[in-house]
Amino acid sequence: MQSIINSIVKNRNLIIYLILSFITFSYLYNNSSLHFNELGKISTYLSATSSKFSSSITSYFNLIKENEKLVSENLQLKKMESNYKFTQINEDTLNSINNAKVIVNSINKSKNIIIIDKGKLDSINLEMGVISSKGVVGIVKNVTNNYASIISLLNTDLRLNAILKNSSTIGSITWDGINARILKLNDIPLSSSLKVGDTVVTGGMSFYFPKGIPIGKIVNYDNNSLEGYYEIDVETFNDFSSLSNLYILNRTDNNEIQSLLDE
Amino acid sequence: MNRELLRNISFYTIILALQLLVFNQFKLFGFVTPSIYLIIFIHYRISYDKTILLLLGFLIGFIVDLSMQTYGCHTFSTITICYLRSRIEKSSFGVNANSPLAMIKGTPLFSRISFFLSIIAIHSIIYYSFILFNISLFSTIFLYAFINSIATFIIVWIISRLISNR
Repeated sequence: MQSIINSIVKNRNLIIYLILSFITFSYLYNNSSLHFNELGKISTYLSATSSKFSSSITSYFNLIKENEKLVSENLQLKKMESNYKFTQINEDTLNSINNAKVIVNSINKSKNIIIIDKGKLDSINLEMGVISSKGVVGIVKNVTNNYASIISLLNTDLRLNAILKNSSTIGSITWDGINARILKLNDIPLSSSLKVGDTVVTGGMSFYFPKGIPIGKIVNYDNNSLEGYYEIDVETFNDFSSLSNLYILNRTDNNEIQSLLDE
Repeated sequence: MNRELLRNISFYTIILALQLLVFNQFKLFGFVTPSIYLIIFIHYRISYDKTILLLLGFLIGFIVDLSMQTYGCHTFSTITICYLRSRIEKSSFGVNANSPLAMIKGTPLFSRISFFLSIIAIHSIIYYSFILFNISLFSTIFLYAFINSIATFIIVWIISRLISNR
């Protein structure tokens, strides 16, 4: 114990220097948008590079399982295509759909981030919408040349425009940070009619997603709120713990909409 | 001791006021702002406590950052030179590094110039690296740091001569 104290006293200047540097970096990171973005890129690159190695090993051993999953995914896509076009996306508003593979994913934090193996060189840009074969996943937050990080739906900072598929009532989807399968649908007035099992889809009133991409289904709701709105639990169609293949939407009408807003 | 402390505090305050009110308004070539507050860390007596020097560096760097809206770039470069100062003293003054006023008198001129330049150049390089924060601007960082170091060195050297004459 004495030797530990002696060592701390001996190296006190180094310890104080490291503490002061940490405080300075926190100040820099939180107040300067340039440093926030650049440090975000560095952190995305570092975590992606380190995880890619371990991910490549585990994915090799999961090849059989992965193959089966891809086959079923393909089958499902073909069914969807023949029934009502892939997730009802209007082809005219989408320039292209890029596919990417998940290399880092988390569901146990309040602000979960997903990192994919595609970046600027693959035409991935900031604020593009990201979906899987089952529905909405998140929005691109940071991009480096070869990687991109995505704010997942399981992030308490994200709020997405959503509607009830049957009644077209507009609300917003958020996550309360508790259950990784349950989201909250807010702002649906008590005057709307709904039932357990109703599908919730994107509302199309944002730059990120066109209208009609599935999000989840209602599993529980409370109509006793004094505020005049339902409290609705929505079970996600996606199982965020087992995401692997994602699709990034590139909308062509964003610039046009933005130019109208700027006017 | 109290008199010496009072004198030091007055000196720090005057230098800081000069930096904030006069030299921060300088924009030679659009980017050169001499960091004359470095004179405080150059003239800090070798016999004084190094921990106090670090805390002083943090405080002064932070005040300069707040006034220039540089969000910690001055603070980090200042605490780094405060931390490295004893090593710079040894490499510049060699056997004379124990003399309390080595940086002002009693040591070869070349040693003093080397000590001043080392502190100012390290500070400038770290400062511009954080201000521009882009590896592709490597040559710009060194050009800015070089010009700023020369401007800072000239002013700090003149002030030091005035102080040592008194």
